[in-house]
Amino acid sequence: MPLSRWVLALADNSGRSGGSAAALSTVTSLPNLDERALVAEAQAGSRAAFEELVRRYDRDVLRLALNLMKRPEDARDVYQEAFLKVYRNLHRFRFECSFYTWLYRIVTNVCLDHLRRRQARPEDQAPEIHPNRMEEGPRDFFDYQKEHRPTLDPERSLMGKEIQSRIARAMERLSPRERVVFEMKHYQGLKLRAIGDALGTTEETVKNSLFRATRKLRSELEGLR
Amino acid sequence: MSGSSKLIRCEDVAPLLVFYMCDEITSEERAQIDAHLAACSECRAQLTEEGALQSAIDRMPQTADQFESSGVLLSQCRSELAEKLDELAAPKVDEGWQPFGWVRRWMALRPAWSAAALLLVGAIVGTQAIQWLPTGSGNGSAVKVFADSRIKPDTLNKMEVSGINFSRPDGKIQLQLNAEQPMTLTSDEDSADVRQVLTFVVSNSDRFDAGVRLDCVEALRAAVGDEKARAALLAAARKDQNPAVRLKAIDALRDMAGVPAVRDALLDALQRDPNPGVRVEAINLLVRAMEAGGEMPEMAPEAQDSDLPVPAVAPQAVPGSRETEQRILRALDEIRQRDSNRYVRLRSAAALRQIAQQDMQ
Repeated sequence: MPLSRWVLALADNSGRSGGSAAALSTVTSLPNLDERALVAEAQAGSRAAFEELVRRYDRDVLRLALNLMKRPEDARDVYQEAFLKVYRNLHRFRFECSFYTWLYRIVTNVCLDHLRRRQARPEDQAPEIHPNRMEEGPRDFFDYQKEHRPTLDPERSLMGKEIQSRIARAMERLSPRERVVFEMKHYQGLKLRAIGDALGTTEETVKNSLFRATRKLRSELEGLR
Repeated sequence: MSGSSKLIRCEDVAPLLVFYMCDEITSEERAQIDAHLAACSECRAQLTEEGALQSAIDRMPQTADQFESSGVLLSQCRSELAEKLDELAAPKVDEGWQPFGWVRRWMALRPAWSAAALLLVGAIVGTQAIQWLPTGSGNGSAVKVFADSRIKPDTLNKMEVSGINFSRPDGKIQLQLNAEQPMTLTSDEDSADVRQVLTFVVSNSDRFDAGVRLDCVEALRAAVGDEKARAALLAAARKDQNPAVRLKAIDALRDMAGVPAVRDALLDALQRDPNPGVRVEAINLLVRAMEAGGEMPEMAPEAQDSDLPVPAVAPQAVPGSRETEQRILRALDEIRQRDSNRYVRLRSAAALRQIAQQDMQ
């Protein structure tokens, strides 16, 4: 899985060097500004600079939200809530970490809040959508088409789908924090320390969450091994 | 636990295998685990299972791949965020300082209480605060308010006076009119209308009965100071067909004999009125006016009437109203000599004598 810009950003929490006012004056196009300069512009009230920041990172934000929430409508809520929080609190950002890290922290916290609300009131929630989950609704036309790649063993393929289905089911049993940690570790490719920073907790706590999540998944897959 | 060269135990290695697979252990831990795995087949098998699980997890299709690949959802999110930012960036409506804003909010939420409170405030202001308000004229005098006239020009042309009543003690006049709508006018309530009707009646002798005209002239006596009323009386004195009315009109002008217009009318009556009684009354008023003026010209000796003892005085020049007085004396002298009525001649001679005596005094 290719590492997203989150990974690169969170791997370097020191942030990037900011552009000076002189540099700002020479750079006329916002997409050419570095992160620090853009943030400074946005803090000064530039709507265009803020929107440029959004465009730089919102694809990753939405992807994280979709993978965590499993529902596009929830992901849209997370997207908007997260960026509005950024917009309202941008003046509090002091460049003590990178903007990526700060944004990621906000997004994960918003996701956690949504997941916790969903867990508290499961009766109000629509079922999650899991790709390739076999028991999940009518299957697509292409699901019934024969696989022509000769290297693939049909039995192995079926087994793989069963595993994925069980993993998806097991993911629903994870706590919000465990789900976020698991997602960030396995699908965002973040280091545990960065996850801890994003969630505002220690690396040890994140480690425990990841361990519990893996154990739950393993127990779910017990009969398949 | 199996193997001989274990740096750590299997139960210590097992929890670390998850982090071993995802590279979240220190180099020292990795060296110890590698050493343990080299000697422990059970832990190697567990590591293999862990690898298979990690592989299955990594192969899990992502929800984001399903929904986000087309970019539609991202576009929707961007649009919604832009709208929200527009709302936040829009300047708030500045309502400014609203006087008694809390009162209005309170009233809006409690309409019944508000109505009661407003009625109470209105009652207090109406009964208590009105005395502190300044009066209309500023000096405390009452403001006269006149009602619209009930008499229209068209009404005057079509009306008939059916009755005029005088209340002698207070001089109140009541007019009863027959018009399209019968009406009763009183001098204390409709003084302007009463005066207008009286003036119209006196000025239009051909339309009204002589008795009505007499009553109207009598009623106008009190209003002789009014220019219109006086003009109507002067016209009646000159032109009214009934001598009683003319006489009454001259009598009504008694107190205004010093006014040039009145004096001219008296001279006209003296010289031209066909009724001797009117002429005599004109002489009386002219003499009275002369006496009131205090300047009595002497009568010319040739002007003396043979029948009357007239002092031999000629008209003298008198400063101010000299010309008028000379006209009066000449008219009296002429009447003394040529009037067809002997009583008029005698009265004229007596007038000249009276004037001469006063002048001598």
